[in-house]
Amino acid sequence: MSKQTKVWLVLAIALSLLALGSACSKSSETTTNGGAASTEGAGPYSGPTGTIAGVISYEGTPAAPKKIDTTADAACGKANPNLTTDDTIVTDGKLANTFVYIKEGTVEGGKKVGDYSWSTPPTATQLDQRGCHYSPHVLGVQTNQKINITNSDQTQHNIHWIPKTNPEWNQSQPNGAPAIEKSFARSEVIIPVKCNQHPWMKAYIGVLKTPFYSVSATNGTYEIKNVPPGKYTVVAWREGGGADGQTKTMEVTVTASGASKADFSFGSAATSANTHLQMMPALELPSLHK
Amino acid sequence: MSKGLNRFAILVACATFFLIIAGALVTSNDAGLATSDWPLSNGQFFPRMVGNLFWEHGHRMIATTVGVLTIALAIYIRVKEKRMWIWRLGLFALMAVVAQGILGGLTVKMMLPLPVSTAHATLAQLFFCTTVSLAVFTSRSWTEARVLPEEKGTLPLRYLCTAALVTIFLQLVLGATLRHSAKWDQQLPIELVLAHIGGALAVTIALGVTSFNVLRRHKGETFLTRPATIALLLLVVQLFLGVTAYLTRLGSPNDPQPLHPMIGVTVAHVACGALVFATTIILTLRTYRVLPASEAAMEMAARPQES
Repeated sequence: MSKQTKVWLVLAIALSLLALGSACSKSSETTTNGGAASTEGAGPYSGPTGTIAGVISYEGTPAAPKKIDTTADAACGKANPNLTTDDTIVTDGKLANTFVYIKEGTVEGGKKVGDYSWSTPPTATQLDQRGCHYSPHVLGVQTNQKINITNSDQTQHNIHWIPKTNPEWNQSQPNGAPAIEKSFARSEVIIPVKCNQHPWMKAYIGVLKTPFYSVSATNGTYEIKNVPPGKYTVVAWREGGGADGQTKTMEVTVTASGASKADFSFGSAATSANTHLQMMPALELPSLHK
Repeated sequence: MSKGLNRFAILVACATFFLIIAGALVTSNDAGLATSDWPLSNGQFFPRMVGNLFWEHGHRMIATTVGVLTIALAIYIRVKEKRMWIWRLGLFALMAVVAQGILGGLTVKMMLPLPVSTAHATLAQLFFCTTVSLAVFTSRSWTEARVLPEEKGTLPLRYLCTAALVTIFLQLVLGATLRHSAKWDQQLPIELVLAHIGGALAVTIALGVTSFNVLRRHKGETFLTRPATIALLLLVVQLFLGVTAYLTRLGSPNDPQPLHPMIGVTVAHVACGALVFATTIILTLRTYRVLPASEAAMEMAARPQES
């Protein structure tokens, strides 16, 4: 090997190592950004907070729940003889299981809400399989927060989530098997969950870096607490109306110790004009749909 | 020629057809991932076969049976059959069934990626083609068939049959891709639906022209006219099933679970497709057996290769 060839070889190896190192550091950055507790940015937020609350309405007549045929697994029929679909739960015109979250926004002072680091809750969120049905049907977690998955049924299930940015995962959980703890490294709204043993079983998980999310209760109400004062884009997501569900978006302003009210409407009779925003008297008027 | 070997080859071909139906039931019920492990189900040889595990584990059990039958067939051929090329075909069938098992495991472990699932469904048809061919080659009608005169001045039937067979195979690949590209609760991709409809048109023309030519040119020769007639009848049934399967799949995303009409019709469509393929294989092989190659082809074959 000539001297010139050796020099070129050493140069090529050095460049390759440099490129490899750069790729590795980029990869770890991506993971950190997708994770919950970024050490860079503005650090944790400490200051006054307000809340965003509202009611999710359903306008029009919702489709009647459909009966599930559980003959393929007698344990399901025994545990839940009147099992029906739970994609649209409407009580007195109010819609349950709507995932409401802050998509993006600017905290007073000019920093983006995502620039702050938001600590991961130490407690796990529960996802139970009971009566051949996921409970809760819709849930929210922060990135890297544990989800404690249990099987309370006298039959076997499998939990199969199908995210787009997080890794897909499928795990059998026979009856009597210990709880499974899992988490998501990246924020993603929304992740469908299904049981391939019982194809009617579906759940949805919203994963965010921030703790600013809520799921509407049976009476349609939701509340997002401890929101720093600022201007935010709030999104309400509900299952149905297509593979990706339906969303409504609203611009909301939160003031210190204030309570912003953001109501959303879904359903056949609802239009974008039905999505209205009301302010509590002490609050400033928010800018609508910038 | 062994009668017992032929009967056993027919049994393996029938078991393979049954296996294709079992596989189609897995897809239509969305049961492919009913258990996360492979080859065991929930860590057991015999799990409680409830819910969709009935279909997935049932498919695995039938596949294992077909695998054992294929090994037995290969041994049977080695012992009874003097024609070495049939022994080699038996070995090919054995390799195909092993590869099919590996593909089945891969598609479960990789969580049903479209290329692997489609390859699994495609290899199933190729394996079926091999077992049907073995049944044809070991039959008495194959060894005792007499050579017929081929018409002159027209397109040779063996070419027409081959063209129809290739068209059907490509249509089966398209169908497998379409079926695995969307689950029962998702809408089928329209571009693939249109391609499959185009494929159906191509199969109708290719198989229609071939069968009518067989019936016209070799009236009374049941060795050829029987598979041609059956293929035509199956094609009509298959077209009807295709339209019905599409209509039931259009509504399935709004259903709470895969319902029996959709499952029944889509599985019947897969099964009938396999039967059209099998009948065309029989017709093609028989055409090659009894109809001489065209003079031009014979001349070409006799001509020394130019270097």
